[in-house]
Amino acid sequence: MRPEPRTDDLRPMTPLQVAQERAFVEGLQEECQTYWDMVEVGDVLSRELYLAPELIILYADAVEDYNPWYEGWRMNKWRIEGESPFGPAIVPPLLVSHFVLSVQFDHTKPFAIGSIHTFHDTEIVAPIPVGATIRITTKATDKYVKRERRYVRHEVTVEDVETGKLYMTEIRDILSL
Amino acid sequence: MTAALKAQAEPMENPSATAVRITKDTPVGFELIGVKKKAAIQLMGSRLWGRFNPNHWDPVYAAETGLKAPIQTGEMSSAYIAEMCVNYFGADFFVGSRMQCKYVASTFANEIIATHGVVREKTPKGEGFRFRVEFWADNEAGEVKTVGFLEVDVGVKGEPA
Repeated sequence: MRPEPRTDDLRPMTPLQVAQERAFVEGLQEECQTYWDMVEVGDVLSRELYLAPELIILYADAVEDYNPWYEGWRMNKWRIEGESPFGPAIVPPLLVSHFVLSVQFDHTKPFAIGSIHTFHDTEIVAPIPVGATIRITTKATDKYVKRERRYVRHEVTVEDVETGKLYMTEIRDILSL
Repeated sequence: MTAALKAQAEPMENPSATAVRITKDTPVGFELIGVKKKAAIQLMGSRLWGRFNPNHWDPVYAAETGLKAPIQTGEMSSAYIAEMCVNYFGADFFVGSRMQCKYVASTFANEIIATHGVVREKTPKGEGFRFRVEFWADNEAGEVKTVGFLEVDVGVKGEPA
């Protein structure tokens, strides 16, 4: 029989830290619909995102990708133009794909925890400069059941707010409770 | 200035990546050397990644939802695979490419994930080729977590490749 899981199983924590984490988790468990019920086919959602140099560093550091092309911020110098084969620093190729989640899940509603991202088919049209402001638009195109599991499909476009330049398109599936 | 300092001041290229860049002459069957990462709980639960969903970092909540341990967001595996592909395709990856990923199994906290890739097709296009790479990510036991493919143009506009 497996022992009961503990908050500090995977990292060292004091009793105070454990209590803070349990309170945080309880705060996340607000009343919410399943993602399946939250989305209607045809729903369109859109948000703008400023790709600050610090945001790029946060993303890349957590996946331990230290390619200098992504550095629009460096310790001691702070914000810099950076360098890449396209001129100034660019964002990692799939960074924006990660942020699509914050658009397709309507951020004005409680988050449908328990959903799982299962698939993406991404067309990378052009490099995105660090410092650009992009518009992510998602459209729910299908809800389907496969092997008794419920999926919601979205089509995504990512454009430059200032120039209208298309940077990326994507099809992605979310497995809903 | 030492070579190391010069590299720091002029970070145009990742030297180790330049040495393995795929060119028009790279044959079908060529195997990419991937990257290897640990699914560290502190990174899985960072604010920008999984903090919004305790399934990604809290053992207690994960168990309540039927998981044996917290699971990494799939996009972290996609980022690992993308890093491997940037190492091999460089700037070409950022223009007109296609990357399809399926997350076929969960990545659990503390697993060591390695990425792999093989050039499966080269389709003539312009003055170069559109390469198709089959990739996957697995753990130390060889259990496959993510599968997919990447398509990238190499040298199609006549630029040196």
